[in-house]
Amino acid sequence: MRNLSDQEIIDSVRKGNSSDYSILVNRYKNKAFSMLNRMLKNEFDAEEILQDCFLKAYKSLNNFKGEAKFSTWFYRIVYNSALTKLSSQKRKTETEMTSVEDYINLESEYNSNEIEKLDVNHLIHKTISKLPERYSAIITMFYLNEMTIDEISEAMGLTVSNVKVMLHRSRNALRDLVLKTKLTEEIL
Amino acid sequence: MIQITDEILNKYLDGELSVEEVKQVKSALLNSDELQRKYSALKLVHNGLSSIKEDVVSSGFTEKLMKQLVTRSTVPKQQKYFIASVVTFISILCLVIFGFSISAIISTTSSSIDEPKSVFDSVPNLSGRLVEALQQLFSGAGLSIIGSIFSIIVLISGYFFFEMQKRTKADLGNGQHL
Repeated sequence: MRNLSDQEIIDSVRKGNSSDYSILVNRYKNKAFSMLNRMLKNEFDAEEILQDCFLKAYKSLNNFKGEAKFSTWFYRIVYNSALTKLSSQKRKTETEMTSVEDYINLESEYNSNEIEKLDVNHLIHKTISKLPERYSAIITMFYLNEMTIDEISEAMGLTVSNVKVMLHRSRNALRDLVLKTKLTEEIL
Repeated sequence: MIQITDEILNKYLDGELSVEEVKQVKSALLNSDELQRKYSALKLVHNGLSSIKEDVVSSGFTEKLMKQLVTRSTVPKQQKYFIASVVTFISILCLVIFGFSISAIISTTSSSIDEPKSVFDSVPNLSGRLVEALQQLFSGAGLSIIGSIFSIIVLISGYFFFEMQKRTKADLGNGQHL
């Protein structure tokens, strides 16, 4: 059977076939969950917020004009909901914690012996969630959700250049950490 | 000659540099071990990030969500039905009161019509009797019954109205405007 496009599914839901919404849910649930999980650093909260996001998106489906991709529109809801959750938890939100200009120091998260023992890929995967929230969101959207910089900037409400700067900073921070591992020295 | 910064290396990795800049970066990489080490590590990070796996939500997530969707969409419907029934009830009550007043007036005027009068002569008489009929209805036990019914309706409607307002505010706060 042919894979229905997001727009076709939305049209069908708008016509009253609300059960078709489950196709969209199944299509985006894990990717959005990955983003929320890395931002909130808590699986339970991530799943709860994800459920709210799908409900919000469903209720606002009539407002979706199709000018942007559904995924971009939906990730915007997800990203904003995560920020709202973070601020409601009285935690410092990303805007308070780090500005685009700040240097991210990930080395303080590990002791030098621990870094040396870790496998590079394992270290990278483990460290994404240690990045500040906005940075881990960008990494997830760019690498996992395969969104373009333009789409990410639209979803996050940031300028394209800011998104690029943040993506580069995240990579550089991870690179500095990777350079500390013994395995890297063998590879390089 | 451009200075090879971390930013330039990232742009080189993403293929965002011009042909001339690419040439310069390539030559710089060939001539500097330190730069080559940095670039290789950056590429390693890029490849590592490209292979990240998605986290999986708990099983039954979609089913649970779809059930919630059905429940949530039926609640406002129930509220709408309730409001419609309250409005209908009030309208019927008003019609009954109006009908009762009219019938009371007609019965009293028909008994007193002995001599033919013009329509304009009977208007003050009719309005006087209407006031009299309403006074009868809204006095004593009648008033307390009507008052009680209206109070209950207003209280229940107020509760539902407050709930709807709360729900709308929550929706707006949660980004319904997106």
